[in-house]
Parts: sequence; C-alpha cells; structure tokens
Amino acid sequence: MMAGPIRKVVIAGGGTAGWMAAAALSRLTGNGVTEVVLVESEEIGTVGVGEATIPPIRTFNAMLGIDENAFVVATQGSFKLGIEFAGWSREGQSYIHPFGAYGADIDGVKFHQVWLALRAAGLPLPLDDFSLCTTAARLNRFQRPDGNPASPLSQIAYAFHFDAGLYAAFLRRHAEARGVVRHEGKIGQVRLDGETGFITALALDDGRVIEGDLFIDCTGFRALLIGEALGSAYEDWSHWLPCDRAVAVPSTRTAPLLPYTRSTARKAGWQWRIPLQHRTGNGMVYCSRHISDDEAAATLLANLDGEATADPRPLRFTTGIRKEPWRKNCVALGLASGFMEPLESTSIHLIQIGISKLLALFPDASFPAHERDEYNRLTALQWAQIRDFLILHYKQNQRAGQPFWEECAAMQVPETLARKMALFRAAGRLFRYEDELFTDASWAAVMIGQGLMPERHDPIADTLDPAEVRNLAARMADAFRRTARAMPTHADYIARHCAGRPM
Amino acid sequence: MPADAPLATITIAGGGFAGWLAASLLARALPDLAISLVEVPGPDRSLGVAAAADVLLPDDLPLLGEAGWNGPDLLRGGRAGFVLGTALSGWRADGATAFMPYGEIGAPLGPIPFHQLVSTMRRRGQPVNMANYALGALAAQAGRFAPPPPGDETVHAALTFGLSIDTARLAEMLRGDALERGVRLAGTWHGEAVQRGDGGVQRLVLADGTSLAADLVIDASGPASPLSGARDDWSPWFPFDRVASARRTSEAPAPPYVHCDAHHAGWQSFAPLADGVGELFVFSSADAPGAPAAEPFAPGCQQAAWTGNVVRIGGAAAQHDPVAGLQLHLALADVLRLIALFPAACEHPAEAAEYNRQWREKTECAFDTALLRLACSGALGAVWDRLRARALPDRAAYRRDLYAANGRVVLHDGEVLEEAGWTALFDALCVQPRKGDALSDALPSAKITAHFAAIRQAMIAAVGRMPPYQALMAQVAA
Repeated sequence: MMAGPIRKVVIAGGGTAGWMAAAALSRLTGNGVTEVVLVESEEIGTVGVGEATIPPIRTFNAMLGIDENAFVVATQGSFKLGIEFAGWSREGQSYIHPFGAYGADIDGVKFHQVWLALRAAGLPLPLDDFSLCTTAARLNRFQRPDGNPASPLSQIAYAFHFDAGLYAAFLRRHAEARGVVRHEGKIGQVRLDGETGFITALALDDGRVIEGDLFIDCTGFRALLIGEALGSAYEDWSHWLPCDRAVAVPSTRTAPLLPYTRSTARKAGWQWRIPLQHRTGNGMVYCSRHISDDEAAATLLANLDGEATADPRPLRFTTGIRKEPWRKNCVALGLASGFMEPLESTSIHLIQIGISKLLALFPDASFPAHERDEYNRLTALQWAQIRDFLILHYKQNQRAGQPFWEECAAMQVPETLARKMALFRAAGRLFRYEDELFTDASWAAVMIGQGLMPERHDPIADTLDPAEVRNLAARMADAFRRTARAMPTHADYIARHCAGRPM
Repeated sequence: MPADAPLATITIAGGGFAGWLAASLLARALPDLAISLVEVPGPDRSLGVAAAADVLLPDDLPLLGEAGWNGPDLLRGGRAGFVLGTALSGWRADGATAFMPYGEIGAPLGPIPFHQLVSTMRRRGQPVNMANYALGALAAQAGRFAPPPPGDETVHAALTFGLSIDTARLAEMLRGDALERGVRLAGTWHGEAVQRGDGGVQRLVLADGTSLAADLVIDASGPASPLSGARDDWSPWFPFDRVASARRTSEAPAPPYVHCDAHHAGWQSFAPLADGVGELFVFSSADAPGAPAAEPFAPGCQQAAWTGNVVRIGGAAAQHDPVAGLQLHLALADVLRLIALFPAACEHPAEAAEYNRQWREKTECAFDTALLRLACSGALGAVWDRLRARALPDRAAYRRDLYAANGRVVLHDGEVLEEAGWTALFDALCVQPRKGDALSDALPSAKITAHFAAIRQAMIAAVGRMPPYQALMAQVAA
C-alpha cells in the first residue's frame, strides 16, 4: 500500500458514536487531502447510549468549539452533579457519588484521611457534607463555577444529561457544516482486499460502493466491520458484570428537576433515572439468569415517577471488550468496540477517548503497526480501569437474601481491584493508576458509600492538631452549605440560561 | 508481637545520605515514632554510586519543600548549583553537541504537542533546533538565570530547574536535623542480624555486641547490604562496571547545567556546585585498560524492596547506571513513598505489596530512561557498538519504536521523565519521528512558523530580563 496521508475516512453508522467521530475528524480535512464520509440508514434505529455523561464531555465539546448553552438547548439537556446510588449498600440506604473533590487537604493530608481520623476520634460527620456537589444535589440546586479559584463554588464539577438522538443530530449539523458528507443507505457487504485482508469498500444495498482508506465501525452491537468482516474477537467480562439485558422507557418530566442521575438497586439488577428537560429517561439493567424479561419490564413500569410515554424497548448485550478495537484499517467506536453497562455513565466517554486517541495516533496510508498497537494497548488499559470501578459497586453490596446480589458479593474480582480494596481497607489509602479516569474522590465515595470502611486511618493524619481540624472541617461544611443554599434551583438555572424549545 | 500492634519503633541501617534523608523526613512527618539509626563503616554508597555531587530534579524541590526542606536551606547546606538541563558532547553520531533542558519545550498549539509541530516542519524541509524553544536552554546559553518569583505568571514562570548538591555536605545537614529531632544514633553495625522467617529481621546485632530490635527496619546501607535478598542482574544491558568520583573546587561557580561527555570507553559528567564541580567517571573496564583507580559497580535491583519488616531504599534497593543522574531522585521517592504508605500496624501486607508495586514501576521507568539514553546514542567505541547491538527489553524497545514511528511518548505511572523530558532525550540523540501527527500536518506552514516565532520572541525577552548567573550565585554566597 502506498504511504502518504489517508485520503478517505469512511464512518459506518450514524448514532452517537458515528456523529461524534464525524464531528471530531472533520478537522482533518484541513490538510486539503483527507475526506470524511459517513454512511447511515434511517431504517436502522440507534440504541442512543449514554444519556448521562461525566465531566470530560465538556472537553470534547470545547475541542469542537461548541457553546455549552447552545448544546444544552439543542439536546433538551440538564446538568448533572453526580449519581445517587439507592439501595446499593443495602435496601433503604442511599449515597451520592459526586463529581469533584471532598473538602480540602489539610497540611498535605488528604481530606478523606482527615475525615477518617475525626471519625476514629468519635466525631462521625457525614462525608456528604464535604462535597459541594452532593450538598447542592440534595437541595436540587445548580450553578456553574464562577471562575474564582478561591470561591467554594470552584468545587463544582458537572456534566450533562441529554437526549442522545438530539445530540447526534446536533453533531451532524456541526460535521456537515465542516465538509463531512453523509450517504443514506444500508451497508450490504464489507469488501476486503484478497491479499492484505484490509477493508477496501462498503457496498450498499442500492448498488453504490463507498471506497476508503480508513474505516470507523460505529455500527453498534452488530459490529459489521470489526467483528463480522474482520473477525476481531470479543473478550467476555460477564463473569464480573453479569447483567446482560436492559429495558428502557421514557416518562413525563416531574418536578423538581433533579441535578443528578439516580441508580436504584432492584432484585436482579438496577434501574436508572435520567432527568431531561422534555422527559425523564428510565431503564432497567438486569441479569436474565435471575429475572424474566416480563418481570423486569413490570418492575420498571411500576417504579416510574411519571407517565410512560412509549412502549418499553428491550436490549441484549454481553459485557466485554473487542480484543483488537483497531484491526487492519478499521477502528471500532461505541458499542461495536465493546459494552459496559451505564452504571457510571461512561458510554459516551469511551467513545470520546477512542476518538481522541485515534486523532493522536492517526495513521498514514501505510498503516504502521505502532499506531494500532498503542491504540489497542491504551484502550485495553482504560476499559479495564473502568471495568474495575463498576465491579466494585457489585462486589461491595450488602443486599443479603437476594441470590443475584449474594452471588456478586461472593465473586472473585480482578487482582487489580482486589489490591485496591485491600489497600483501602487497611488504612484508607488510594492511588490513581496510569492516569485512570476515576479519581481518588470517586473511589472513596463509592467505597465508603457501599460500606467498605478502612480499619485504620493514615498515621500522618494524627500529626494534625485535632481541635484545629475540627474547626476547619466545620467551617468547610458550613461554607458548602451556605454556597449551595445561595444557588438557584436546577430548573430555574436552566430556564434562565439554556431552556430547550417545548416539545 | 500481636499482628495489629501499632508500629512504633524504626531502625535505619546506614548513616549515609539515604539513611539521614529517611531519618530527617520521617522524624518531621511522624514525630511520635521512635527512630534509631546505626552507622555502617566505609564510604557512603547509600544512593548506589558514591558521587561527589548528585542532582535533585525540578519536581523534587516542591516535594522536599512540603517535607520541610526549602530551596535556600538546600542551596546553602548543599553548596548547590542550579541545573537547567544536561549538555551532551560525544553522544551523537553526527558529532554535534546537544542540550536536554528540564521543563516544557515550546508550547502546544491547541491540542497539538510542540514536538509534533517541529516534526511537521522538519519533514517540510525546515530545520528546527528544539533547544531554541526551551527557556532553560536559552538561559543556560545566555549565562543568565533567576528562579521565577512565586506567583509569577509571565514566561519566566516556565523556567524549570533542579539543583546539583554536594552529597556529603547535604548529608551532614540532614544528620544534624535528624539528631535535633530526636533520632537516636545507636552505634555501628557490621552487618550481623537475626532474621525472621518471612524475609524480615528480628534484631540487628551491633559492633559492641548489643542488639537492637525494631518494628520496621529501613535498609539504607547501599548495594552491598547484608540484608539484601534475591536480585536481578542488569549487566547484560549496562556494560559500564567502574566508577570514580572527584570533587574540584573553583573560584567561580560552574555554569548552570550538567555536562555529560561520552568517550570510547564510557562517559564522564560534571555537575555544577556553588564552589566547584562534582565529577563522575563511568566506564567499562574491558575497554579501558590502564584506567585510573576506580570502584567496581554492578547494575541491578532487588526483586522486592519490602520483605517482612525490612524496607530497602536507595542503593540498597536498586543500583542504576548513573547516566541519567537519578539516584538522589529515586532515594527521595523511596522515602516519600514509605511515608505515604507508612503502616499503622506491625503486620502490613497491603502496604508492603503496594510499596513494592510502585517501587517496581519507578525502578523500571528509571531503567528504561538510563538504557535508552545509552542505547540511542551514536557515541563512538567498541563498548557502544556492543551496547547498541544488544536487543532492548520489550518495554524500552516499545518506547523508542513508538516515538520513532510517530513521535508519541509512552507514559507509565513511575516515569522520571514526562512527555517533554522523553522528547528532549530522543531528540538530543537524533531519534526522529518518521511520520507526523495528522492534526499538525493539516496546518499550513505559515501558521506553525508564526507560532514558533512568537514563542521564541517571548522567551528571548524573558531571558534578557534575568540577571547574569554569576551575579545571582554571588548573592547566594553572600
């Protein structure tokens, strides 16, 4: 194959992954050589993954030059300060995994260690009081940080809930305005080079043939290119994350508009609740070995807080990852590259980091192995880190008496996670490995939220003056409380800054 | 002793730099601990190689500052010189010299790293010297220097520097500090110990026949430690097996960088001190018959740094080829890691396992750094040819090959160099990416050239505002 820049990138499949890729890759056309096209069919529905997101989505939108308010308006979006996990430690209990940090470190001692030391000294303060995001979330309030690093407001970190279908449409307008060409049609056949096994073209059902140099597989679970045509194997993780089905249903918006996602543990899985401006997104993720489809759907419908506005839509999946998400001249993004349940709202993030890695490692037409190997190495690492964090939620549950949950609590977890849990249990220590996505604060939130309490605290925390620490902690909690109370409600904030058109 | 008994007593084996560093920092961080230190006779090899001068990397200074040792103390107590990077001579096949600055080189253009812009311009036929876009390199060249004032937000704030210190002088200062904070000097140790079954130590038997028990033993006695366990040998990759060091004094301070010169049998380095130079000579005995007296050196590392109740730090844990000047940085990292993971109880398998994991990561990254510095060089001589002919271990090869393919830098948790440092190393040794970054290649040359010109102009103006280095050092001395 001739070296030189890639002349044509073909994105197979629209939907969230396809249009995110198209919007980002449109930049490449600046070299005057590279052309980006996208093939999708209106007949094929999209799953519309990830209506809830995490803060790095803001970086992605900023990279595309997208105005945040315009984006929220266009996607009927709302703001998100974290996730409430109801019933995950045990029935009737709930905790919030907030974005952002807890408190402030004192003399180099991490805040959660200070908190543990206070607790050991007989002062069991709620950890929630030291997160501004949690405090504001519990009051249904929201405000963006004001840019002043000294203000308590600087502790606000946020992401969005949005309508994934509208987001894809929004990105489509963005991509098409920057030269991406869309072809309407169904892919009938993936043509391979007889010698190299590289994809040469996509043949559409209507006879058109779309040739290209680099193919991006965004065809969802079918993985038409990376799986069916190129045979990249799938690594099954369902022994750690045994849920294998979901059922989704929208319902009418209710008041107040919550600034967080809710995940409620149920008999053999969990229910999500995502508040948008024009509706609430709901769904049940469950394990088919422990509950029937009918019972899962009935449980979901019985636990809506608004009117269902459509029929429940079922979904089947196997949690896991494509062993080679980049194979030959094809890179898979989104569901084609693997699936992890949306427990920590990572689906869109996984697409986003796939795109940024692809841009940083963008090959030339000779497709050297180095770019592919590094892409696959980093992907495997990043996915496994998120996987471990998800497994923690299941492993560390105390829902006694329910076979699904007891099975999860008894499972053997990956060594990387077992080590992290042992270290936290010993003295509350946390280390962030290889630039992993979830911070120490996230790990602490979920570990403590699910009842994994350290046996001791870091001896360094005992070198602080206890009276001064108590005083500082009280002042921090007070500042957060006052700051949160001064914020507008989430609904008011949206009405003032980024209300979507009534639908 | 019950497993969950609180850990209360520590014995440090070795009164060299590493031992007194541990004593001082532990006494400051955990004032309730009972710390004893036993001295080991002979020259101080506690960092690995007995060098007259060692280097604190830029990132070490704020860490030491947090631990209570700030810049002025280190400057005075260590007779220190500032270090802006390393000048290389004899390392390149084309015979040219090169400079590896600390800190960032240039500035990114949006999401595109600076070195990718350089790579694009070079492939378009325009030669670019990266050092011309590094503030440290320009300051070193101009003989001007001043640490950026705190809170500075101008270009000057990008000036990144380390310190070259007189190892023996700074060890003296750490010793004084530790003793003042209640560390007990318990006597002399010749290496006799009563072992436990788990790789730990029950007590040390001292020269005067008394014995010393401790909940935790910190082994800072250097490469020849009597407490050493199973070891990996690195000599197949690192052929330099002799080391000599000397301390020269001079009237004027040496310029603010380390000079490292490669020759047919090895290399020599000159580290600046306030009142002279610390010299280090490292060579292969097989390639330098009749060389002056030198000590033998065997590169390698322990398979585990922490076994039972023994934590090996500095040269007792790993013996790195000193070419990358990391031994002080690594010993400091060991002590800070120990403090970060300091166990509350006498039984501490989770802490020891995590310490070993992090130490192993750092050790491997330092190994890669030193090895690639040697193996990517174009130095002339039979020993260099042998070194280059040997296949690199997978991880080091992957780093070099990925950079050579497209300029991407692999980063792990234990890195001693960040992206800019790796770029500076590869670029100084003529490893250049074959292919560019797609976003960078999509930019017109005029846009990149304008970006380069703006950076250079701002940096040259910033250097012009700095005082002459000699004037600053005279002020420090006063």
